[in-house]
Formats: sequence, C-alpha cells, structure tokens
Amino acid sequence: MLILSPKRIKMKIKAFFSILTLTALVLFSSCEEKTEYKDHLNDAALFREVEQKLSDVIVYDIFSPPIASRVHVYPSIAAYAIMQQAHPDKYQSLQGQLTDYTDVPALEDRKVIPNLAAVHAFLTVGKALIFSEEKIEDYQQQLYDQLQDEGLSSLEFKASIKYGEAVAEHILNWADGDFYKQTRTFPKYTIQEEDRYWKPTPPDYMEGIEPHWNKIRPMVLKSADQFPPVDPYPVTMDKDSPFYKELIEVYETGNMIAENKDSEEAQIASFWDCNPYVSHHKGHAMFATKKITPGGHWIGIVKIASELKNDSFDHTVNAYMMTSIALFDGFISCWDTKWNTLVVRPETLINQYIDEEWLPHLQTPPFPEYTSGHSVISRAAAIALTAVYGDNFEFLDTTERVYGLGDRSFKSFIDASNEAAMSRLYGGIHYRRACEEGVKQGEAVGTYIVKNLMTLK
Amino acid sequence: MKHYSLLSLVALLILSCETKTTEQTPIHFNSLDPKATGVDFVNTLTPTGDMNIIEYLYYFNGGGVGIIDIDNDGFDDLFFTGNQTPDKLYRNLGNMKFEDISTAAGIGTEDSWSTGVTVADINNDGYQDLYVSKVSNYKSLEEAHHMLYINNGDRTFSERSSEVGLDISRFGTQASFFDYDNDGDLDVYLLNHSIHTPRNYGRSDQRSQTDELAGDLLLENKLNEGSLHFVDVTQAAGIYSSSLGYGLGLSTTDLNMDGHIDIYVGNDFHENDYIYLNQGDKTFKEVSNSALSHSSRFTMGLDAADINNDGLTDVFSLDMMPYDPDIFLKSGGEDSDKVSQIKESFGYHPQFARNHVQINNGNETFKEVAMVSNLHATDWSWSVLIQDYDNDGMSDVFISNGIYKRPNDLDFINYESDVDLSKFNEEDQDELELEFIKVMPSIKIPNVVFKNNGDYQFDRFTTEAGLSDSYSNGAAYSDLDNDGDLDIVVNNINEPATILENNSVKNNFLSLQFDSKLNPFGAKVYAYNNGSQWYRELTATRGFESASTQKIHFGLGSIQELDSLKVIWLDQKTTVLSNVKANQQLLIDRKSNSTSNLTKSSNELFTVAPFDFVHRENDFNDYDKEPLMPERLSIEGPALERADFNGDGLDDLFIGGGKYQASELFLQQKDGTYLPKKLKVFELDAIHEDEDAEAFDFDKDGDLDLYVVSGGNEYVEGVLHTTDRMYINNGKAEFIKYPAALPSYNGGSIAAGDYDGDGYEDLFLGTRSMPGGYGLSPNSYILKNTQKANFEMAAHARLGMITDSEWADLNNDGLLDLVFVGDWMPVTILINIGDGKFDNQTEEFGLNDTQGMWNCVKVADVDQNGTMDIIAGNAGLNLKWKASKEHPIQLYLDDYDENTFLDPIIFYNFFGENVPFASKDKLISQIPALKKYFVRYSDFAKAKDIHTLTGKDSIMQTKSIKELRSMVFLNENNTKYNAVPLPIEAQLSTIEDVYFDNGDLYYVGNYSGYVTELGPSKSNAGGVLSHFKNGNFTQNRSLGLPANLEGRKIDKISDKTFIILTNNDSAYTITKKN
Repeated sequence: MLILSPKRIKMKIKAFFSILTLTALVLFSSCEEKTEYKDHLNDAALFREVEQKLSDVIVYDIFSPPIASRVHVYPSIAAYAIMQQAHPDKYQSLQGQLTDYTDVPALEDRKVIPNLAAVHAFLTVGKALIFSEEKIEDYQQQLYDQLQDEGLSSLEFKASIKYGEAVAEHILNWADGDFYKQTRTFPKYTIQEEDRYWKPTPPDYMEGIEPHWNKIRPMVLKSADQFPPVDPYPVTMDKDSPFYKELIEVYETGNMIAENKDSEEAQIASFWDCNPYVSHHKGHAMFATKKITPGGHWIGIVKIASELKNDSFDHTVNAYMMTSIALFDGFISCWDTKWNTLVVRPETLINQYIDEEWLPHLQTPPFPEYTSGHSVISRAAAIALTAVYGDNFEFLDTTERVYGLGDRSFKSFIDASNEAAMSRLYGGIHYRRACEEGVKQGEAVGTYIVKNLMTLK
Repeated sequence: MKHYSLLSLVALLILSCETKTTEQTPIHFNSLDPKATGVDFVNTLTPTGDMNIIEYLYYFNGGGVGIIDIDNDGFDDLFFTGNQTPDKLYRNLGNMKFEDISTAAGIGTEDSWSTGVTVADINNDGYQDLYVSKVSNYKSLEEAHHMLYINNGDRTFSERSSEVGLDISRFGTQASFFDYDNDGDLDVYLLNHSIHTPRNYGRSDQRSQTDELAGDLLLENKLNEGSLHFVDVTQAAGIYSSSLGYGLGLSTTDLNMDGHIDIYVGNDFHENDYIYLNQGDKTFKEVSNSALSHSSRFTMGLDAADINNDGLTDVFSLDMMPYDPDIFLKSGGEDSDKVSQIKESFGYHPQFARNHVQINNGNETFKEVAMVSNLHATDWSWSVLIQDYDNDGMSDVFISNGIYKRPNDLDFINYESDVDLSKFNEEDQDELELEFIKVMPSIKIPNVVFKNNGDYQFDRFTTEAGLSDSYSNGAAYSDLDNDGDLDIVVNNINEPATILENNSVKNNFLSLQFDSKLNPFGAKVYAYNNGSQWYRELTATRGFESASTQKIHFGLGSIQELDSLKVIWLDQKTTVLSNVKANQQLLIDRKSNSTSNLTKSSNELFTVAPFDFVHRENDFNDYDKEPLMPERLSIEGPALERADFNGDGLDDLFIGGGKYQASELFLQQKDGTYLPKKLKVFELDAIHEDEDAEAFDFDKDGDLDLYVVSGGNEYVEGVLHTTDRMYINNGKAEFIKYPAALPSYNGGSIAAGDYDGDGYEDLFLGTRSMPGGYGLSPNSYILKNTQKANFEMAAHARLGMITDSEWADLNNDGLLDLVFVGDWMPVTILINIGDGKFDNQTEEFGLNDTQGMWNCVKVADVDQNGTMDIIAGNAGLNLKWKASKEHPIQLYLDDYDENTFLDPIIFYNFFGENVPFASKDKLISQIPALKKYFVRYSDFAKAKDIHTLTGKDSIMQTKSIKELRSMVFLNENNTKYNAVPLPIEAQLSTIEDVYFDNGDLYYVGNYSGYVTELGPSKSNAGGVLSHFKNGNFTQNRSLGLPANLEGRKIDKISDKTFIILTNNDSAYTITKKN
C-alpha cells in the first residue's frame, strides 16, 4: 500500500535502522546502566509531544481539514491498540467496535516496552499518511538516541520497534480499505450557475475540497448520513425570508467587526479560524499562512486537558483516540451534508447583491456552507472529551498562541464548542443556522460515539 | 529650418567598419562599457519597510528609456527614468560617446517615482519634447505629477505641464501622443495602473466605473484652436477609466487601416486588453472580444508593427511564461480550468499567461501565432521591440526581461512565506516584509533576441548574441552611431543601463527622418521592390515605459535601390519617391503631396451567410471527471451526412445534434435552398450526442438509410445515451428506427464500404475513447452486412482513439482498404487481403512514425497522378506541445496508486527537456502519494521522466505523438506514402475536416477543448489551399469565416457553395464570388 516505489521506502528504513542499531550498541557498551529512559517513557508528556509533532507536520504539509482528521485518527488508534494489548484488564479491544477493524498482533514478547512501541507505531502510521517524512524521521532519531542515552537497552529497543512496526502495518492495511485512495479520482464539483449553489470564493477561487468525503468509511457511525441535520433555509433574496435575514446578519456582523477589529466577536472569530491555508495577496506578493485545522485545534485541547489532569500515558492515549475518532466521524457526517445541500457562501451573495467590496473577517474556506464544519466537529470532540475528562472541566486554551493569537478560557469543553460554532458567524463565513444546526449534528455524532465505542473496562 | 540644414535631403553614406568576429550569430550586439560610453545611469532600488514589492505591486517594474534628438543634429540622445533615483538625460556626442547634461538641461532634479517616458513634438515647433509619467498619491511616495519638458531648442527644457493641463497626478505607467481627431495636433493617451491587490476579480462591467487615480485618460490637444492646452475627453471618447485597468502596455497605431489611429492597451491580471478602434468622430469602440480569440493574461509591454511583411500592423504583447524548464515547473502556470470558467462567468475574455503575437487579418480580427513561432515564453518580459536588427528585410524581435524578486515562486508561497503572525500583528511589519523579500528568489536571466526566418519561424538567441544576464525593464532602439543598424538601449535594475551596439552581419538599409513640425505620427511608410513590400508606421511609444527613435528604419538585405517609397500621411496625403538608393538617411518632406484613398479593396473570396442550424453542446466538463486528460472529448459534434434521402435527385443534409438536441433533416429544394424537416423519430432520440453518420442502402430497397453514431465522454459504455441508432428510409425521407442491437460506446467515426464485394455495404465503426480511461484504446469494429437486414461482427480490435475513417482502394488491387486516424496513433492502414481479411500495413506504407492528434482523414488524388493520396488534419503547430520523432510527446497509462482508476500522465519536450504536462498540484490531487517525494516544487522540477516521477519502471502502456502537422501523404506506386506537411498557414490551428475539390483543398478547424494549460487553438477557422505544384500547395486563402468559429465539418452542396458546421455555434454557407 505504500505505493509508487516500495523499494525506495524500504531502503530508507533499512539504512535508518542500521545506523540506530550501531549507535545503540556503542552507547550501551560504553555506559553504566541508567534508568532515566523509564521515566521518560512513562511520562504522558512524551505522547503529547508525538501528537504535537504530527500536528506540526500536518500544518507544514498543508492538509485540508477532513484529510487532516484522517491523519490524526489512525496513528492514535495504533497507539491505543498497543495500550489495550498492554493493559487488557483496563481497556477494551476495538474489534467489533470500529468498522472492519480487527485486533492487532498480540503483544507476546516481554522485552517490548509498550509505551515505546506505541510511540513507534504512532509515528510509523503518521509518517505513512503525511508527506514530509524526514520531519518525522529526524524527530524519531533524536528521540531514540536520547532514550538510549538514558539507558534503554538494545534488546528492549529492538523488540519494541519490531512490535510497533507490526502494529503499524496492521493498522495501515486496515486504513487502506477506507476508500480514501479511490476517492482521489472521483469527479470534481462542477460549478452550477444558480444563486443557491456553492461557488468557489475569492481570493483564489479554489476547487471545492473533498466532494466525496461521505464515501470514506466511518469509524463508529453506520453511515455518513446517519445524523442528517434539518434542511437549510431555501436560498432567496426575498427580503422577508429567513434566509435573507440571516444573510443580512452575516453582512452586518461583518461590518461591525470590520469597524471594531478589537471586539470580542473579532477575537473569537480569529481564535477559531483554524484555516490550514490562508493566502494573502499583498502588493505583487502572495503569502500563505498556515495554521492547524479545526480538528488540530481540538487535538491541542486534548493536550491541555491531559496536562491539567496530570494524566497517565495510557489514559492520555485513550483521550486522543476518542477525540480523533469523534473528529473523523464528525467530518464525514458534516461533509455529507455540505456536498448534498451545496449551499452558497455568504461572501458570494453579498458581493453579488449587496456590496461588491465586502470582505469576511476570515477567508472563506473552499467548500459549501451548510452545515458549519467547525460547529459539527467541535461539538463531537467536546462530547468525547467530556466523556473522558468530565463536564465542567475548566481550562485555558493556549492552542493558538504559536499563531500569534491570545489565549481564551472556557468553563467546559461544551462551552468551547459553543464558542467555536458561533465564531463562524462572526468570521463572516457561515449563516447562523449552519452554526446552530451544526452543533446539533455534532452533538448527535458525539453522543452516538461515546455510547457505542467502549474503551475503558 | 536651419536645424535641418545639416541633413536635409543629404544622403549620408555610411562607411562600413569591418570588425566582424568569427562564428557570430546573425544578430549580434556588443554590450558597451558604461565607462567608455559615459552612460552611467543606474535605476537603483532600495526597498524600505514602507515601499517594497509587498507594499507596491509594481515596485520592480523598473524605468524606461526615451530616445530623443534634442538638438536635431541627427544623433539620437538618451533619456532614462528612475524610480527612486532622478531621471537623466545624456547627449549623444557621436561614436557611442555620451554626456550627462541633465542638470544643464534642467531635467531630473527631483526624485519622485518616474515610470514611462515618451517623446513628441507637442507644440509642433520642430523640437522633440519629453513627457514623463509618475506614480504618486500612494503610500510613502513623493507627491508628484507627470512632467512635460518642453524643448527650448537650445539643449535646455522647461517643465510646463501645469500650464497646459498635463500635470496629471495618478498611478502613471506611460503616455502616447497621437492625433486622435486628425486635426494636426498631438493628443495624448495616459496609461495608468491600478494598485490594489487583485483579491476579487469582480465583474468585468466594473470597467465602466471611473477611478480618479488608476483610471486611464484621453486628453485632447487644443493647439489647432490656437493654444497648447489639453482637455479631458476620456468619457466622451468612450475610453474606460476604471480601477480594473492594470495598464502596462500601450500602443497607438492604425490597426484597421482606415486612416484613424487606434489604441491597444495591455492590462495586467484578470482585466482584458483593450482594442479601441477610432471611429473617426472623436469616439472609440472597444472591440477586443471580437478581434482577439484570446490575449496575454499578465500583459506587460507591447509593440505594434508588421511582423510578417503583409502590410498590416500586428501586435506583440508580453507576459511572463518562463522558458527554463526548472523555473517553469516552480512557477505558477495557467489558471485552472475552473478558475478560467469563473473568470468567464464574470465577463472576462480568455487570457493565457504567455506572450501573444496577434497577426492582423485585415478585417479587424487577429490570429495568434506565438506558439507556432516559439515566441511565447521569454520569462517576466517587459519591452518588446519589433525591428529588423540584421537588415535582412524581415522584422526581428528584441525582448527585455527579468524580475528582481520572484513572488510567484511556488515554494516561496507555500513553504517559505509562512508568516509568523504573532510578530506580524505588531508594529514591526516593515522589518518582516524586508525579511520576506530577502527570501524571495532572485534569478538573473539574459534578454532575448529572435531572428525572423519567415513563415512564422524564428531563431532564439541570448548570451551567444551578446546579451548578458540582467534585470531589464524599459528598452528602446535607435541607430545611435548612425552606422546603418539599430542599436538598443536598456534600463536595468541596480546595474548601469546597457547600450547594445549592433554588430550583426552587414546588410543594406534605409533610414528615414521626418520634420516633427509636420506632425508625422501616424504616417504609414511603404517600401517597394520587385514585388516585395515593407511597411512601417511612425509612433514613438513602444516596448515598456519607453519611446524609440522617430526615424523609420528598413533593412534591405542585398537590395541596392528600392523601386519606390510611399508615405501616406495621417491626412491621407501621399508622398511617393522612386528609385531610392539604399544605405542613406533620408529626410522626407511633404512637397510632392497627392491625395490617396485608403479604401480597402475587398479580396474576400467567398460570401459568408448563416445556415439555419445551430449546434448546441450540453454543459459537461470532462476535466471534472478526468483531471489529467489534456482535451475534452465531449465537444466533437455535429455530425453531417449529405445524401438524396427523398429520391428527388437533389442532395439533402442530415445534421446530427449535441446531447438533448434532435438531429435534423434539411431537404434541398429545386432553387438550391434547404427546407428543414423535423422528425419525431429523431426527437425521441435527442438524448444522444451525434458523432458521425452514414447514409447507405442497408436493406437494398433503393433508398438511403441512416446509421448514426452516438458518443460523448459523459457515460460509460453500454448505456442508452451512447448506443448507435439505425433509421430505415421509406423512400420519402421518412424514417423508422430499426430495432437492431447496436454498439454502445463513445463512437468516433463510421465508414460504409462493400469490402467483400457482395453488393451490400459493410461498416467500419471507429471508437473514440473509453470514458473514464483517457488514452486507452477501445475496441473498434468491422460489421459485415449479412444481406438479411442484419450485421455480424466480422472483426474487432483495439485500434486507438479513432476520430475519422474511410474505405478506399489504396493499393489499387480492386479491394477496398481501410484508413483511419485518431489521437496518440499513426495514420493507420488496414489492407484488404481478400477473404474478409485485413492486414495492418501502416509500417509497410511508411506511416509508422505518424502518431498525431489526428482529427480527420480523406482519400483523394491530390497530385493528379492516378493514385490515392491521403489528406489528414492534425492538431497543427500553433500549440504549446512540440513533437518530433526524436522528441515525441509521451502518454504513460497506468494505475500508479492502484486504486483501480487510470492515471494518464503526459510528458513533453519543453525547450529541450522533458517535463510533466500536468502541474504538480493536479498530479497530486489525483495521486496524493506523489507528494511524499515532491513536497517542494524544486523537488518536482527534477521529475523529468516518468520513472523519477512515479518510481515505476514498467508502465502498463505508453503512447506517443511524433507529428502535429496536418499532412498530405502522397501515394508512390500504390506501395508507399510520402509525407508532405501542409503550408504553414494551414498549421496555425487544428484541422477538423477537409474537402478536396478539383485541386483545391478546403479545410475548417479551430478547437477550444484543450485544457487551459495547453490553451485553445483558434487561429484559423478555415481556408483553401490551391495550386499543387512541385509537391505542395502553393497558395493559401482564407474562407473569411468569423475568427472564433470552431469548424467541424465542411461539404460541398452546390457548384459554388459549401456548408460549414461548427461546434456549439451557428452553421454557415460560403459561396464563391464570381
């Protein structure tokens, strides 16, 4: 399934390992026995770090939000599968719970350090799904060198890596059947003229993203259209219609924000922008600023929650996996709605009928409007996190700090997801109904997942 | 006037200096040392936090060059504009020595942002004046207005712009002075540019809104009413003055030869270029949509001059397409098909990001020939100057280019420009921008000169012709040392201006001078010799931000004396000189005036009339389903069949419609007109897209039945939409559908012929494609007529993507053979060897290397020697793709990512190296895993073969194209075919159908279904080739069809009349004039 040139990949891996083994041997024989590596590997911070590493590469490589959710989910499942093997009395197998999933090879070799195997499986699966492999490899090498410096034995290392590889291969084989490959060649969206239909938006008029994402195999949901939201308001420029009122609300909110860039609404909109690729045209130059996706933001919140809770390694893995599955299925559900309803973005109609120069506070992302993706996936993730860490979990969200945005504090995950939903109206990229109904859709997806996916025994 | 006494009517014989270097290119320049010439001007740019490429989109557009003879001493002097540095004036001391006299002349003391410079005798006092455009009212730029330096006649100037109303303060690019109302004084067009970032295209009707800073202006000179004074007539004259105009190129010249000077405006970005035709009543009509089939997208500089010696002014507009394969793969290419569709829906006409060479057809339309000429790619190009640099009698092309920083580098955009927003939001934006600019790539490239070899063929020279790496902008030509050849002056960024002394091979020349008092702008000068003609029109503003010499220069090759010289002045008066000796500078005066009339003699061959049928295509975009395919296969109709369906002795017409359009019958009446006949049976079958049709007597009842081939790329094989139909005639042109089980596929061609000689016509059905599998060869069929009102399949084979076929006895053995053509396949011959057997003898007949993009085939005795020749219409040469036996275009068919969908990947030779045809982004959207190996565009630029790109050694199937020319294959002794390419005019677009009529080859073509990356082929809707002599046709004439028409079928319907069917457009008849 590593297509194109399996040969090239194999060679890379081989070379990599021979160097590792060599350094490991040298180090081992020349040092006194050290045990720091044990603390290192037991610390949940290590798993949060590898999740962060993957998030960073996702940003660099520019993945659209639905594809990013796919890159997040499989590595986390690989790590969970090993935790489950290591702690069978604590965690349930995913077989029979996730579509087409079968158990990973059993953990039999006692030399395997499960947390190391989990890290390795996570990075191996992640590396297969991203593009800039060397960014993962550099990190891996540094980490493994360090662990060996800290006293990790060659035997344990080799065993753990071997097991991690086997699990990764198992997970990737399963992932290969999720119809992702096939959908790459499915037809693009053909622009339809009528006002009500979605059209590509300025400044780059990018092609609609993933019109066939509803064909991707969901994890827990039975089908992409299991929780359809109510219909969007019919698009009309009739001034008395509910649609037109919502259009004007977007327009006027946008104007208010344009006049008051420091307003709470402006800050909320920017905080939850989460657009992985925003192009700026300035002078003769074009820049692209890259940020985490909406899903990536919630992966960041898992990190914060795990830290606040001072959570264990294995339970942190569980939190990441639950959240990433909620995100993954949330995107499938939402994308099914988007590409069936094909609702036009407010920017298109406002520029056409109301104000040619009007600009939304955020850049309109390249897919249909209804429902709001951030609303759906934020609520689904919030429900998953609530199930893991409990309600009324207060936290300071610092996820966007690296992108130059301030921190925001929330009373609960649900509180955060509500704000994420409304941020799309403030950002000028969604009508109110898409946010409100999106939250309901996410609620249904999230609730179904936490009811039907059992992890802790 | 005494200033002319030195020169008037005195021929200066030129001494030829013999300083030829060995092995030099036919056109060659010496780049002179600034220390030796004394021209030390440098357009130094120092980016600051608030003025740089990010704050001002045209920061690196550079400065211009003005050629001016300040003291009428016959030696052209030099003016340079500077952006952040003062303008400078240099006096020509002769012998390529110059003196900076700026200060003494009273010029260039302020350091506001100058852009263009033009030269004209604005007050008609016999001295050339200077006009400098400025950018002001923008960010930190100095307050300024355009400057008018009136020549005092004593090598000093007085700035008098505010006195005369030319102290315009806008975002100026360039001006051009010309007499728009033929009243004897010079009016002016002011080209300005928008500064806002093109975030939102906005609808094109915004161009009727005026913008006070970016809008262009037309000002009328009131000198003829007694005082030098300019009045704004922009609105009244019908000139757009909006913020949509990113004006970078300007030419004022008579494009339609009606004696009134027209305007060509080149606009950058999404706005179209404007062609304003002067209506002769102080108004203009903007006609670019009807005049051009497409234009350059990022139009920069331009020049207007006769490039093909046909006596008409052509237009060359520059763009920024790279020619270095690596740079090409790392830079943004054409708009995606989707974006181009969106722009069209906003009202913009098609544009492509490459140079355009618009050849004047003489009927207010142009044909675009940059691709066939290989003039299309010269990187970020600024000035184009069309002149005869080697004096061989043909116009060559000089192009200055370069961009100091490349903001369109895709790695920069995607991976290096990622802004640290936490900083960006604070006050140190300025510093950050400068950091950005530092990491923007700089690539220094040489300017380019093209030598014209005739027939739209040019040789490209760069460093070998003495041109060195630079970042060059404005440029102008002049014979600075009066040695009989044209030198070039170039304004560079951060380096001294270049003076290129022409030391090409020596040939004869003629240089003409005009007294500026007589307002010579717009004068048309014709040189005649022994049946040849040369044409020039006098205007100063050319290239980019620059003005060239006001002398007119002819290269004369070995001609010692011209038969005659004719000047048609703007007021239509004519001056004729006979027996004009070469190698002199001649001052033209107006003593011997006679009036001429410019009335055009109509040399149209045909009367064109509409025919009562309009073909309608349904909206289906093949690329949405198969993004890697290079051409749309869904726009191939209509079908045409001529036959006498009602048995009245007159040929009728069957025309097959597009999807959802019923086929129609047109019954010929006795008076030669056609009566449409709508048939219910056709209406019921309207869902079929008709590709081809054949009339033959299927049931042997004495009338002609119909077989109609259905097709289209929308549906897979086997559905109703693509099922062929057969209709049985009752003798009165009334049809019933015959209930036979007929093939269902994307049909391409049908040919009927009784190959087994049993008296019943059999069929060949050539299949076009496998929908969803572009490039694969579907099965084609030979159906044998069983004589029992049925067919049986006699043979089937995967023969290629077939477009056309014909039965004919090619080897003269009495048996019908089969010839067929298509895409990615040779002209293929199946020889009938009797017993219902066929042998593929393509190779034996010498057609093995004829893989092409063939559209049609016709068998006829072209050379009238009694053997069957083959005429085949191909994609033509006016295409971004180039193909030859040595460098074929390759199509690699495989499922690289093993997802059960075919991924057709094309490589072609791009200026010497193989490159993937699909962009990296397009390839990755279909095969995402490729991105693992090609995260960055610089990595992708290394993928010069299929193995490097995909890692695959063995490819499922490889096809190629080795021949793009339309051809005649002459039959030699019934055993071998010799290929003869049709003349160049017939290679300017695709040929979709031909009709051979008694020695004349009629053809129709044009095709807009290629992906935007390849661009449309729309430069020749139709023509007729005649006089086959010495192995080729020797004459090409136009059919006079509307320029943008996409011809699909041509057939002769009466003695002098032909019908022409088009795709998604009206049908026409053309009738020969007596």
